[in-house]
Amino acid sequence: MIELDHISKTYQRAQGETVHALKEVSFRIAPGEFVVVRGPSGSGKSTLLNILGCLDTPTSGSYRLDGEDVSSYGDMQLSRVRNSKIGFVFQSFNLLARTTALENVEIPMVYGDGHVDRKRAMAALDRVGLVARAGHYATELSGGEQQRVAIARALINRPGLILADEPTGNLDLNVGREVMRLLKDLNREGSTILLVTHDDAVAAYALREIALGDGAIISDRVQTGDSALQPAGEAQ
Amino acid sequence: MKLNKVAAQAVRSVRRYRLRTLLMMAGVVVGIASLAILTSIAESTKQDTMRRFKNMLGTFDTVIVRPGGGRSRGMPTLVTVPPTLRFEDAQAIATQLPQIKAVAEVQNAFDIDVKYRDRSASPAVFGVSPNWLALRGEDVADGAFFNLEQNDSLARVAVIGADVRKELFPDEDPLGKTLRVGDVPFQVIGLLKSRGAGPAGASLDNLMLIPVNTASRRLFNRDFLTMLVAQVRDPQSTEGVTAVTSLLRERHHIRPPALDDFTVTSPATTMAQVTRAGSTLTRILSGVAVMALLIGGIVIMSLMSISVSERRNEIGIRRSVGAARTDIILQFLSEAVLVATAGGMAGVIIGWGGLELVTRVRQLPHVLLWQPFAASLAMSFIVGSIFGIYPAWRASRTDPVRALRS
Repeated sequence: MIELDHISKTYQRAQGETVHALKEVSFRIAPGEFVVVRGPSGSGKSTLLNILGCLDTPTSGSYRLDGEDVSSYGDMQLSRVRNSKIGFVFQSFNLLARTTALENVEIPMVYGDGHVDRKRAMAALDRVGLVARAGHYATELSGGEQQRVAIARALINRPGLILADEPTGNLDLNVGREVMRLLKDLNREGSTILLVTHDDAVAAYALREIALGDGAIISDRVQTGDSALQPAGEAQ
Repeated sequence: MKLNKVAAQAVRSVRRYRLRTLLMMAGVVVGIASLAILTSIAESTKQDTMRRFKNMLGTFDTVIVRPGGGRSRGMPTLVTVPPTLRFEDAQAIATQLPQIKAVAEVQNAFDIDVKYRDRSASPAVFGVSPNWLALRGEDVADGAFFNLEQNDSLARVAVIGADVRKELFPDEDPLGKTLRVGDVPFQVIGLLKSRGAGPAGASLDNLMLIPVNTASRRLFNRDFLTMLVAQVRDPQSTEGVTAVTSLLRERHHIRPPALDDFTVTSPATTMAQVTRAGSTLTRILSGVAVMALLIGGIVIMSLMSISVSERRNEIGIRRSVGAARTDIILQFLSEAVLVATAGGMAGVIIGWGGLELVTRVRQLPHVLLWQPFAASLAMSFIVGSIFGIYPAWRASRTDPVRALRS
């Protein structure tokens, strides 16, 4: 599914100093995996997620998604990949204000090849249990509901990969659990999920954990059973 | 297909932010309304001026010859013109030039007292040939015009304009009555049809027509003309003017480098000048309106730019779900065009209403031309496309990563 080969990303700061956000990062993720990426802030998690999500391009290295070398793509092709292969779930939900839940879910279809299929959008809302709220504006929904709408939006074009950035960061415990259960279900149904989090409880849903530090991979391990909580403890 | 969908997003967005949309439209509405009103008014003023000129000049297939080389101001009279244009000249033009169909001789004077019983008036008195009416495309409202016989026999008959009738015969039928021009009695045999106002606004009905021979021998005692009107066969060509000019130079023994002792003008030329003046007015007014429209465009551009900053998050979201830069450009450009065109339509409606009002108040002829309105709509579309480019481009350059973080 994902093949990262010596991906580096450098920025030029305003003062002229160069920041190495990612240094020669390489890993593979197979279809159907549930991976958590952890690390302190500034460790390069966000940069990695943006590159994986085709919102940003690496300075060097190659990134193959589903066999396509997307690291050489231009804006049009990257946009097509984002549209058809990737679903985003953000910490701050990022729904369009003054827009109904249903319309929010429909937006990825606008930029796809197919037509805007209202039935499919309703089905996606049904999948996250929000059919009853379809006509409500985003601002009228609770945090958990908004995040579920965002998940429905991420699902609508049936992407293979779901990228989640602290999906429970703005939710309280129970609601966060509900959202994680939903993601876990999606993973069971075949979606590859990669999520970035600080939260041990959230990280515990993943089967594999990649730890980043200072732009490089510190550890990449498969978690099993009780040891799921161990790596987080070690990191602190 | 995709364009439709992106444009549909623009429609939604425009409806979602009503206040912003209305503000953006306001400038274009004003610009388009003034463009439509001003160009229409300019056009109808032009037509009105042309109509008045036509009133004064009569038909357009004539050339007018006046004695004297230089331009003289106002209407020539027997007192102000040199005695160089003779009856024989008129005869020669009528008989020798194949380009000329007919010639009317004119002697005229102002400030002559015309009296009927205890009433008096001072119309312009014109001695004219019997073919005058036909040449000028005019007609009598009542009675008859004098004929060749009456001209030859120096008959003292008169045809009066509506103003003269009003002043001298307010309550009675003037036909058959005898009035006095100076000391000479004339019998009223006809009433002219009213011609309304001339280009300067003065009445064209304050006149009295008498046979030119009668005028020459019995009233003015002059054997030269103040004007002659020649009807040309082909109004489009300048041949008539040229032929009349060379014949008169020959008859008056004028050789180069001496200048003409007469002036030949053709109403068609005068008309062209008037039309050109009208077009200049139209252009100036349109220019003013286009400025207003440009300001409307700048309003759209600035509000749209502000809106792009405010909608960074939306842009980031759209980019994250697969909108390419071109989609973002398309969306914001569609919004600008939509707002401008909607403003244009509102402007056209308001302009139309305004025009109705103005023509009624200013009593201009009611000319409703569709061209200014169609042009205005097209202009608003263009304004939207042009002034939408910059904000749309800025929107497309928004970094989705940063936009999503905020």
